Amino acid sequence: MLNTILQQAPAETTRYMVAGYSVIFSVIFLYVVSLIVRRRNLKRDLEILDELESKEK
Amino acid sequence: MESKPRLLAILDIVTILLFITAVGMVFFYAPLEAVMGQVQRVFYFHVANAWVGMLGFLVAAIAGVAFLRKSDRKWDIVGMAAVEISFVFFFIAIVSGSIWARGSWGTWWTWDPRLTTAAIVELVYAAYLMLRQGIEDPDRRARFGAVYAILSFISVPLTFISIRIFRTIHPVIIGSGAAGAEGSFEMTPKMLQTFMFSLLTFSFIFADLLWHRIRLGKLADKTENLRLKVLQ
Repeated sequence: MLNTILQQAPAETTRYMVAGYSVIFSVIFLYVVSLIVRRRNLKRDLEILDELESKEK
Repeated sequence: MESKPRLLAILDIVTILLFITAVGMVFFYAPLEAVMGQVQRVFYFHVANAWVGMLGFLVAAIAGVAFLRKSDRKWDIVGMAAVEISFVFFFIAIVSGSIWARGSWGTWWTWDPRLTTAAIVELVYAAYLMLRQGIEDPDRRARFGAVYAILSFISVPLTFISIRIFRTIHPVIIGSGAAGAEGSFEMTPKMLQTFMFSLLTFSFIFADLLWHRIRLGKLADKTENLRLKVLQ
């Protein structure tokens, strides 16, 4: 009984948890997107360069 | 064009499933910590991100040694890929740690030995990424990258042991912590399982992203070579 009365509730820190996971998820997501975009751009560049090279021949 | 290897496709799926499970464990399986409350849940992915950061910097140093011994450019691609991924994940670890600190210590940042050494590591590798951009000759760039990755790795174990050798308020998760550490907590079995599972998941994420980034590096190398050939 006394324990229950003296027991404190955990600190209200939900917003910090939300902020922390927002940062974690969004940065990972942005990095994955950057990999996809860079790959797509490089493929496009490679196609153009292949075309230029075949024209020169 | 080189198609995606079957093993990489399988690794992608396994990694996504592990990630979903880890997120589920963090929010629905791990119990609420009695003192810090919800912000303690940041700990699982905060440490896992730092782990990926340190692992990648180690891989870059090993790739640096391999490049200097064999002068094979593929090791430069591996080193660059590892540093880039680790830079991103170490950044997440610093920012999520800062948010956790605000919730449990009441401050966003303090010049504690762990926080200071972690910031130094991030800046050292930021310099690696920037300085590489300034070197045009690919062989010189690769040699510079290899030497830099080996030397800068010294800062990584220093960060790891900083909370064990200096007086600090940062909690020690593995082993015994300093007397002044704040935000320490006893891990229940469920917390420990979630923590270990998060570490495993992020190891898979690292392996998966590293493979993708190496493929990107090879493609960039091929494009650069063809560009030089066309321009000549």
